[in-house]
Amino acid sequence: MSDLYLLWRNLFRRKLRTFLMMLAIFVAFVIYGVLGSIHYAFEHGVDSSADNRLVVVNKITFIQPLPYAYVGKIAAIKGVKNLTFANWFGGYYQDARNQIGTFAVDPESYLRIYRDDLRIDPAARDAFIHDRTSMVVGEAIATKYGWKVGDRIPINSNIFTNKTDGSHTWELTVAGIAYAAKESFNTSFIIFQYENFNESKTFGKDTVGWITLETDSAAVNDKVAATIDDLFANSTAETNTQSEKAFGKAFLAQLGNIALIITLVVGAAFATILMIVGNTMVMAVRERTKEIAVLKTLGFPSWRIWRQVLGESVLLSLLGGVPGLLVAGLLVTLLSKLASGAIPGLALTLPVAGLGVAFMLLLGVVTGFLPAWNALRLNIVTALGRL
Amino acid sequence: MRVFNEIAVVTTICIKSIPQRFWASFSTVVAVGLVVTVLLAFLAMAAGFQQTLRGTGTKDMAILMRAGSQAELNSGVTRDQARLIEEAPGVMKDADGKPLVSPELYVIVDGVKKTAVPADGNLKKAPRSNLTLRGLGPAGIAVRPGLKIVEGRAFKPGTNELMVGRALQKDFAGVDVGDTVKLGNSNWLVVGAFELGGSVFESELWADTPEVQDLFHRQNVFQSIRARLTGPDALKALSDYAANDPQLKLDVTTEADYYAQQASRTSDLIQKLGWPLAIAMAFGALAGALNTMYSSVAARAQEIATLRCIGFSGTSSFIGTLLESLVLALVGGFVGTLVTWVLFDGLTGSTLSGASFSQIVFTFHLTPAVALQGVILALVVGLVGGVFPAWRAARIPIVEAYGTP
Repeated sequence: MSDLYLLWRNLFRRKLRTFLMMLAIFVAFVIYGVLGSIHYAFEHGVDSSADNRLVVVNKITFIQPLPYAYVGKIAAIKGVKNLTFANWFGGYYQDARNQIGTFAVDPESYLRIYRDDLRIDPAARDAFIHDRTSMVVGEAIATKYGWKVGDRIPINSNIFTNKTDGSHTWELTVAGIAYAAKESFNTSFIIFQYENFNESKTFGKDTVGWITLETDSAAVNDKVAATIDDLFANSTAETNTQSEKAFGKAFLAQLGNIALIITLVVGAAFATILMIVGNTMVMAVRERTKEIAVLKTLGFPSWRIWRQVLGESVLLSLLGGVPGLLVAGLLVTLLSKLASGAIPGLALTLPVAGLGVAFMLLLGVVTGFLPAWNALRLNIVTALGRL
Repeated sequence: MRVFNEIAVVTTICIKSIPQRFWASFSTVVAVGLVVTVLLAFLAMAAGFQQTLRGTGTKDMAILMRAGSQAELNSGVTRDQARLIEEAPGVMKDADGKPLVSPELYVIVDGVKKTAVPADGNLKKAPRSNLTLRGLGPAGIAVRPGLKIVEGRAFKPGTNELMVGRALQKDFAGVDVGDTVKLGNSNWLVVGAFELGGSVFESELWADTPEVQDLFHRQNVFQSIRARLTGPDALKALSDYAANDPQLKLDVTTEADYYAQQASRTSDLIQKLGWPLAIAMAFGALAGALNTMYSSVAARAQEIATLRCIGFSGTSSFIGTLLESLVLALVGGFVGTLVTWVLFDGLTGSTLSGASFSQIVFTFHLTPAVALQGVILALVVGLVGGVFPAWRAARIPIVEAYGTP
């Protein structure tokens, strides 16, 4: 009779009780897996942006535009390798509730800055550069609305008025579809030509929303940022230059302290199972006091008994936790589809799953420790006398 | 009558024997308590947010924005349009016969949340959050009768002075009366703090319109027009008037409807996060409750058998066991409610509202209706967690009960 067999039989001695504990552990790890993945996707999405990329926005707030002339002035600054700019369009399709992140951009420089993040067919890229009324649609949006290359789509703006007909609609042809080259890149966007936008809108001509630039290397980031902000100090539009990473983090923080909320909820879920499982394990081992005394009488060394009890609790933890993580993985995949790319890179990743398994082992050891300790200290004579 | 006596006896035995299973019972109480706390924290957040936005709109205030703009931030109206609205039907006039119409500028600036202030206290380097800066004329205060200046005074027209909402001051640093706020390249002095019925306006900064127009280079452009209505039919009259004038391509709604629509989106989202989490956790707690109750029945098997021998019915064992489970869950529910109340009720939070694209400060509010939902969830866990073990208790074969040591 191997130890493992004994362990297995002990675990399933009371099937219902074991099943209930597995259920509690399962639930906790489903919660951990889903929330952990969401948290990871948020953090990672921001962290994965290139180190030498800076964003220049108006100092009042990033919604306030900058003069177009700044683009040329900043391009001339030493240490700036590439730059591009974009405008928020307030775009939506058909119904105002179907909002789409729509940006008016300079096609060539925009695609150059995001060359490592976006994958686009060279022919589509050329079409986008040459056709003034074209747009490039991110994969998530193209899939959502079933748009194909060559389709002519009316995109509405909840901010701007089209000078040509006084409506809020711009008809744009799909020049191509952009795919994420990095999993964490959000493809629910539309980009179209700045020139088209600038000439057909009724107000705010020759302004840009923000400027994105690449420095020669991350080492000169601070220097370049300071040079830009100094250049426009005391002008009518002062700037605030920071890394894209910092900019993304600050924006995410505006939603609320997501990390804290997730930690609290996962903490509560783990505290619940710790109470339930820990307590039940003590009870389960206590019931077997006599058997353990017999094992000891037969000459089983302490470490084998210690291993028995801890092995049982760790096995229980894994039997509940691993399926929990698997189901969490399924749920996350489903959620990612439902959100249609709103949370890019949402998946049960290796770091989250790995930490989950570590938590399972920890839970097993913690819940098994007290009963194992009790079993170890057991005095054979009293134990056999105990009813 | 006999049945009731029996039930009373069995229940007393059950409850009195809880200390013998202290740790098992305690774990159930804690598990249920944690579930209820998580649920109530989310619901209290949703309720607080909703209360803030719902409290903002009044039915007798119309808000007019460019057609299709959805939110003040996207809208743009001209001074000429504002003049036309001053002559519109359904608009209330003050004692001097001046129409209560306020064209308002709505722009976004930024500030630093108190939680984001770095250790050295230097606000310049801290991450910033969007805030609403509203440009108002003298009419802006007249159209809002509920406005109370609780500290300092109103801004003087023609100066870079700010009035700050009370809620904003709770959550943001550097906006107390006497503080200087740098917006763009000009300095603004905070001269007063106001309350306005716990509404969204209390999350805003207010200043004189021409000064804000200067700062943002937006001469003669506004985002919205507020107009005080004369009565329940006035909105219809005003909408018809706007619809018939080609110069007035405006959407007309009451402020109440405008903010209620904004409220439902975010608070729905919070509730949609809270309930699934709580239900998932409730399954975990349920497993714990079932375990505890089964072990309770097992521990009392001989007692139950004895009672049955001396003529007690199975029903009394059933109900007694069920009540024990309900009591444990209810205690857990109350503990959870109490914990939520102590930790979360009255806590201020703020989030980026999708429609206004700026921070709305709200207070977690554990309303009786919210607390009730938590207690109900606890009772459901207690009921389901008790009914199966109770069924077993009612049907234990007497011989078998004595057979198991």
